[in-house]
Amino acid sequence: MEERPSLIAPVATAIVVVAAWWFLVPLLGINPRYLPSLSTVVADGLSIRSDLVAGFWRTFVETALGFLVGSLIGFAVGVVFAYIPILERAFLPILVAAQTIPVIAFGAIVVIWFGNTILAKVVIAFYLSFFPVTVATIRGLETVDRDRENLMRSFGASGRQIFLKLALPTALPLIMVGLKIGVSFSLAGAIVGEFFGDTVGLGVLLIQALYFEQVPRIWVLIVACAILGTIPYALLVLVERRWVWWRAE
Amino acid sequence: MPAEGLLALRNVWKRFHSGGTETVALHDVDFVIEPGQFVTLIGPSGCGKSTLFNIIAGLEEPDGDGSVLFQGQPQRHRDLLGKVSFMPQKDLLFPWRTVLDNAALALEIEGMPRKAARQKAAALFPEFGLQGFEKHYPRQLSGGMRQRVALMRTFLFERELLLLDEPFGALDALTRSMMQRWLLEIWARHRRTVLFITHDIDEAIFLGDRVIVMSARPGTVRCDERVDLPRPRSGEVMLTPQFLDVKRRLLAIVEEESRKTFSASA
Amino acid sequence: MNLLPVTVALAGLLALWELAIALFRVPGFVLPRPLDIATAVMENPGLYASGMLLTALEAIGGFAAGAALGFGLAVLMVLFRPLERALVPIAIAISSVPSIAFIPLALVWFGLGPVSKVAMAALAVVFVVLLNTLNGLKRPDREAINLLRSFGAGRLGILWRLQLPAAMPAVVTGLRVGLARSTIAVIVAEMLGAYAGIGQIIYQATVQVDALHVWAGVAVATAGSLLLNAVLVAVDRRLVWWS
Ligand SMILES: Nc1ncnc2c1ncn2[C@@H]1O[C@H](COP(=O)(O)OP(=O)(O)OP(=O)(O)O)[C@@H](O)[C@H]1O
Ligand SMILES: [Mg+2]
Repeated sequence: MEERPSLIAPVATAIVVVAAWWFLVPLLGINPRYLPSLSTVVADGLSIRSDLVAGFWRTFVETALGFLVGSLIGFAVGVVFAYIPILERAFLPILVAAQTIPVIAFGAIVVIWFGNTILAKVVIAFYLSFFPVTVATIRGLETVDRDRENLMRSFGASGRQIFLKLALPTALPLIMVGLKIGVSFSLAGAIVGEFFGDTVGLGVLLIQALYFEQVPRIWVLIVACAILGTIPYALLVLVERRWVWWRAE
Repeated sequence: MPAEGLLALRNVWKRFHSGGTETVALHDVDFVIEPGQFVTLIGPSGCGKSTLFNIIAGLEEPDGDGSVLFQGQPQRHRDLLGKVSFMPQKDLLFPWRTVLDNAALALEIEGMPRKAARQKAAALFPEFGLQGFEKHYPRQLSGGMRQRVALMRTFLFERELLLLDEPFGALDALTRSMMQRWLLEIWARHRRTVLFITHDIDEAIFLGDRVIVMSARPGTVRCDERVDLPRPRSGEVMLTPQFLDVKRRLLAIVEEESRKTFSASA
Repeated sequence: MNLLPVTVALAGLLALWELAIALFRVPGFVLPRPLDIATAVMENPGLYASGMLLTALEAIGGFAAGAALGFGLAVLMVLFRPLERALVPIAIAISSVPSIAFIPLALVWFGLGPVSKVAMAALAVVFVVLLNTLNGLKRPDREAINLLRSFGAGRLGILWRLQLPAAMPAVVTGLRVGLARSTIAVIVAEMLGAYAGIGQIIYQATVQVDALHVWAGVAVATAGSLLLNAVLVAVDRRLVWWS
């Protein structure tokens, strides 16, 4: 049941939500401690725009660096593990288990190691994206079926050709899923890293807003985080639409 | 019995519109099927056979030009749902149901309690050569076995008209000829009306009282041939001059239509 | 499954850990020895056990509520398509915010007690389960649906016999991802503001730059989540019994 994604519904929903938030919230007299009107939020956002831009950029850099390094190394490790069965059998269960534990708590240790530096956040963002990408790569390469591989062999394909023409294309849809998870984990990692202490970043601003209970500011930052989360995700979706349009079996 | 037989198609058209282009799948399909008849339908790939079945099963609406009559009554869209037993081209077994529960699916939907449905389905297992596989899941079966489970599921949905879309397509030649003879036996015993799609001319002639040959897309009835071979038929019948005579004639038409399919796309 | 390679790998990692400390004389505040971490936990087992228990209860409570809500909404959405068209964009928008960004809001709204943690756990799981279930329910193709319609099945019959079972693998994936996120959300929320819980224990140790007890807390949190996940895996087997 393939449906063409239509923009009408999302746009209509967005307009309704924005309008309700802007006009209805003050009209209904909702306590601003719970939900301040959108106009208050926008005004507050404008009042701290330079901090906001600096924090946004800093968190973006941490996320992007951590994600790039994490996904590259994750992919490489995944390929190695997938092709060396003994390593896969030894480490895949550990990697899978690692996905179910709150690895983010290790952030506290990373901050003790690296101090309140940008490096600490990059490292957290790095290892958070590393796990899902590695697991997705191994899983994706595993789904290559024997019959197709034998077919390639019967054509006299070399190992390299089989990897590039069969294994990698088969694995890519799953790897893309891993990358999308990885990038959102990276962002979460960068923000949590900033919670532990720093001077610039969206996480820092969030903590400050929490201490002073500035609810409009918290909303400003939530929206900023949403934008920051959407940009790399949308880029990955575009990459997927353009180059990895086929589905995993 | 009304003059229109069990099923009558009158000037049936089907056009698909997608992405600005129109595909005419069927044009002016016109035939009548008498109760108890075994009719085989043969035609080049993509000529609209499955589309025709979807229309007869009430799943798809024919274009406004024509009409479908069942037991003399004109049928509108969806009227036929639940009235004919339909076996699609793919086996479409549910991976989460055992073979037995897959076979009993239609009975359950009819409202039969699960236990009774299972009992009724289980009784057919030996006849379908599936005894001992009741508790298996579809992924543990071979392609031919899956096809037989799908056929059993259709059979258990007891309706006057059976639509079979290439039911033996995935079977090996041996099992296939066994299943053909077995199907004729069942049909002789139950006398249900069968409309049977196949790609195999021998199969079409061996099974059918009538062979309908469809033209290349847009599909229509190209020729409607009676097969008067005596029943019950055994494998021997395929060697008789009468059989070969029919085959020679049909082969020429089918080949001509198939060639159209390929030269049109070339 | 052969456990030998995994056991060897785990033993190897531990040996490497010990070796690194011995070879490079890594000070304890950088990387404590595994045995020291275990001792630190055992010196005060009540503290860690009660902390982890609270965290687990908060996570399970929020997870159950959020998962049920997400699943129920998804079923409603396939039955009433306009609802889907209106709500899915909102769901996607909210789920694109890392859920930890909502923690300050949850703390302001619900205070430092367990309610804010339960709310965060529910928020962390609801959209994953919602979107996964929705995708799963829409997975059966036209032909399979048509087969059931040809047997005379109605909207609810198709939902019950075809769409729900077909959705289960996707639901299970949603639950797995959701449980991990719930636990993370609760722990991070406890770090930012709580009276108790394993996250708060880790946070206190971090503030005091007490690496040994940070490790101890993280180790307990890890063990606890592995246990939670093992329970979920057992549940999953029943939801997808045929594979
Ligand atoms: N839902 C649809 N939308 C658009 N075109 C369709 C649709 N269903 C079928 N068609 C087109 O109608 C034509 C007939 O398809 P159909 O499946 O009925 O062929 P067929 O005779 O069963 O072929 P085969 O023997 O290969 O099974 C094809 O050209 C197909 O592309
Ligand atoms: Mg067909």
